[in-house]
Amino acid sequence: MTPQTLLWPILLPALAAVICFLIPRNMKLLREGIALLASVAVLYLGFALFSVKNLEFRLPWMGNGINFELRLYHFSSFILLGLSGFLFLITLYSTVKMKNDPRVGEYYAYVFLSAALANGAVLADNFVPLVFFWEGLLLTLYGLITIGGKSSNRTAVKAFLISGFCDFCMILGIAILWSITGTLTISQISVQPEGLAVTAFIMMMIGAIGKAGAMPFHTWIPDAAIDAPVTFMAFLPAAFEKLLGIYLLARITLDLFKLEKGSSLSLVLMIIGAATIVFAVMMALIQKDFKRLLSYHAVSQVGYMILGIGTAIPIGIAGGIFHMINHAMYKCGLFLSAGSVEHRTGTTELKKLGGLSKDMPLTAFGFSVCALAISGVWPLNGFVSKEMIFHGALETGYPVFAIAAWVGAIFTFASFLKAGHSVFFGPRTKEVPPVKESPAPVFIPILILAFLCITFGVFNKLPLVNFIQPILEGHVEAGENIDFTAHALSLFNPVAGISILCLLIALCLHFTGWKRGDKKAYLASEPVHKFPVIKQIYDLAEARVFDLYEQGIVFLRCFSLVLFKGIDRPIDFFFEKIVTKTGSAFSGVLQKAHTGHYANYLAWCLGGLLAVAALINLLIK
Amino acid sequence: MIFLFIGLPLVVAALLPLIGKISKRVLPDLLANAVFLLLLVLAVTAGRQVISEGPVLKQLNWLGEPVGITVAVDGFSLFMLMAISLLTLCVSLYSIDYMERYGAKANYYALLLMMAAGMNGLVLVTDLFNVYLFLEVAAIASYALVAYGLEHDELEASFKYLMLSVIASAAILISIAVLFGMTGSLGFTAVAAGLRSLDAKFVVGFCAALFIMGFGLKAALIPFHAWLPDAHPSAPAPISAILSGLLIKVSGVYALTRILFNVFGLTPALSQVLMYLGAVSIVVAAFLALGQKDMKRLLAYSSISQVGYVVLGIGIGTPLGIAGGLFHLFNHALAKGLLFLNSGSVQHATGTRNLEEMGGLAKRMPVTAATSLIGSLSIVGVPPLSGFWSKLIIIMALVQAKEWPLALVAILASVLTLWYYLLMQRKAFFGKLDEKWKNVKEAPFWMTASTVILALLSIGVGLFFSAFIKSWIQPASDVLARGIHLALGSWGI
Repeated sequence: MTPQTLLWPILLPALAAVICFLIPRNMKLLREGIALLASVAVLYLGFALFSVKNLEFRLPWMGNGINFELRLYHFSSFILLGLSGFLFLITLYSTVKMKNDPRVGEYYAYVFLSAALANGAVLADNFVPLVFFWEGLLLTLYGLITIGGKSSNRTAVKAFLISGFCDFCMILGIAILWSITGTLTISQISVQPEGLAVTAFIMMMIGAIGKAGAMPFHTWIPDAAIDAPVTFMAFLPAAFEKLLGIYLLARITLDLFKLEKGSSLSLVLMIIGAATIVFAVMMALIQKDFKRLLSYHAVSQVGYMILGIGTAIPIGIAGGIFHMINHAMYKCGLFLSAGSVEHRTGTTELKKLGGLSKDMPLTAFGFSVCALAISGVWPLNGFVSKEMIFHGALETGYPVFAIAAWVGAIFTFASFLKAGHSVFFGPRTKEVPPVKESPAPVFIPILILAFLCITFGVFNKLPLVNFIQPILEGHVEAGENIDFTAHALSLFNPVAGISILCLLIALCLHFTGWKRGDKKAYLASEPVHKFPVIKQIYDLAEARVFDLYEQGIVFLRCFSLVLFKGIDRPIDFFFEKIVTKTGSAFSGVLQKAHTGHYANYLAWCLGGLLAVAALINLLIK
Repeated sequence: MIFLFIGLPLVVAALLPLIGKISKRVLPDLLANAVFLLLLVLAVTAGRQVISEGPVLKQLNWLGEPVGITVAVDGFSLFMLMAISLLTLCVSLYSIDYMERYGAKANYYALLLMMAAGMNGLVLVTDLFNVYLFLEVAAIASYALVAYGLEHDELEASFKYLMLSVIASAAILISIAVLFGMTGSLGFTAVAAGLRSLDAKFVVGFCAALFIMGFGLKAALIPFHAWLPDAHPSAPAPISAILSGLLIKVSGVYALTRILFNVFGLTPALSQVLMYLGAVSIVVAAFLALGQKDMKRLLAYSSISQVGYVVLGIGIGTPLGIAGGLFHLFNHALAKGLLFLNSGSVQHATGTRNLEEMGGLAKRMPVTAATSLIGSLSIVGVPPLSGFWSKLIIIMALVQAKEWPLALVAILASVLTLWYYLLMQRKAFFGKLDEKWKNVKEAPFWMTASTVILALLSIGVGLFFSAFIKSWIQPASDVLARGIHLALGSWGI
């Protein structure tokens, strides 16, 4: 395979985007056919490149170290494969779900453009192309959210600004890193995080975790869950952005900076991770809307990945990366099943739904598998990756992080019990008439993802040995164990024991809540919600008091008001009233002097002559 | 060839009244425009080569006998010739349509050509008496042209103009007589040499004061300006454009500069006086313009203010200041010519010059509104239009010469300029269209064409200002700087 092949994963989706955009509106079948074909082709490319593993493409570009450099190696090929897989599933799903959207051509264009840009960002081996592709994703992010309709504009702006801020931080970090190392080629950079490099690390880390949607850069995701199309949620926040963000975070911590075990930077990452897990899952627990609940989980799970990578311990890092791919699978599956429910019932409010498992058995099955996987139930993939993160967190010597992760596990399971119970089990509600199972293109992606969740769990050696281990090779000290499969599915160790205990607690929590709430499943989280002190915090959170973006907007509004009243108006008064009044008064006096009398003017001339003559005589030396 | 600049317009001017008997319109239009076009082409193409070897001196021969008229071309006069030919061409193109309603086109063109001949002569001659001679040629033509409409106001304005101009001519003549009495000669170089051998600095100071008053009156510097706000608005629009764009600069600024720099030599005292006069003119005239209701009167006051900038720049006496002043002279000629022509178009279409009665004319006269906006912004000094660069150069020269208060005046006055030009634009062209103007039409072809040419030149010179300065302004300011260099040190004043 020639190095030029590396351009294909970028050019092919970009071409597909242009074609999808140009096809006239009424030729739906043609557009869907082309989109599917293109996504299959990209998937094939993903497999082909994954089998090649090592390929480099370097093109001199602007000079000064700014070159168009692409590099395929085991990590990027793995992410590339993941991206193309999700692209295919989402495209398949969209053929039904987005069929009647008025802006469907635009939608496919954005999706494929996102794929092209994401592929480019993953393959880029030079910061300048990386930033180019990375920033391009901002545009498609904005565009995709606006497809949701009128109310989505505000959310789109919010997402754009928050992501833009994170990307700006990343660019700053890259600039600092450039000044330290003097090169822009990513694979040549490896610095110790000390001095200025710490700033660079933190800046780039903000860029990476902001893309992944960690706290406090997550607030647009729950809003988008309501406003944006559900396929968008499954596509960008659930799958693509997680893969990209965590990929970059892993590159930062593994390659660019040598993150030391127990260092303060490692602690910072773990604190962000742990906080994200706990706070986001608490928010998820009390949500009344299916999609919004899932979106908070999409934030919460990022915490596990950041925590895992932040441990700087091989098993933790491997767990974080493994969790990334696992999460992308089940969260994508969950969003797609929410979309399937929405497709048939027209709503995602938990209160209105119920007992759909009989009508939509396949969706219910897919949802159940994914929900159990995200909750970390044995023997699914979520269990394996979470166990690895628990082990890693414990090995750092700070058990508090492991405890936070376990608390997250409790509420994750509790909230999914609530969601599943409300939507698919329990009695039918009157609001929703009897429905049919969604068409095949909708449930097939869900089932594929559910199947993958089972496979990656039961046969966890497959991904761990093939995907994860090569990434860590060369990054661990010689002789250290990088075979993580040893205790992958082992139930008989204290860590697994605590995890299973957590699941049991969650079950009890749900059961009591359900009983107390008049046997209405959607009220199962109310005991936690109504708990003293916690209730007040929830109220504040629902009022967006903790949303930095909203607070920032409020602050800016006040600030601009103060500026307007305190500075702008007085200046305006000065010019509007004082300057114009004096100006016209002066002008009036001068005009009065021009009487039109010849003698008058003649006198001025002679006076002027005298003045000039006097002045010249005065100045003569 | 040099004599062509004076002789050709004079000869055609003499023939035109006769030709007017045969053809009332077509021939005079063709002939006058052809003459101006030819002179422009000559000035731009051939003139360069003539002075490539340094200044050229020519004596007039009449039937084989040398006559006492000697002309010379150097960088400064060539630059002025180019400016004169360019603006007169645009104006005479404009007149093709505009002068239809006045009738007697042949006489009009004859007067215009005579004025052009006077101005061309003024920039070419090399002795004091011929300066006076051509000054009067141009002035007499302009008296007639101001009164061309023969209405009460126009005759009054022309009379006032004539009476004050006579004072100026008298002052100039007295000064020339005194200089002749002291040195026994009239040629620039001869007088300069003669003065250098004498120690008569107070008499020279007196002469300089008379020249400043005389030429200052021609240039309408404050307090010698009172005739201009009456005379310029009264004339037909193309004549206003010539008077404001060229005549006050040629017979005022050019003559004054030529004499002060190349005969007396610009001494610190004269430099100070010029700068003060310039600064006072800038500020006072700007305030006066602010209160005007009559569009052409506003433009006339603005001319006084802008000539103030030119005098201020030249008065600094540094090469940069001179270059800025000359550049502003040219830019102001383009932009003010354009604005006066536009005011003519507006008057042609609506019959009024009162800004209060206009409004929303941009909808009916888009080209006029757009070109007038360009002209206004160029004078105000908005980049990248040409006026921005010349004002910038003047202000930079002031800062360089450490004249901080004057630099501040120049900057603040440009805010005033912006103010009254925006007032004018808003009242005339923007806002709601008045009911009574709904049948107004855009000006005829030649009128719009010549304004478009001037607007494009304003933009083009602004965009390629460095090339323009290098090829036209630099040679001109070199001549003046050399004059200072020769004179410095040899004079007490």
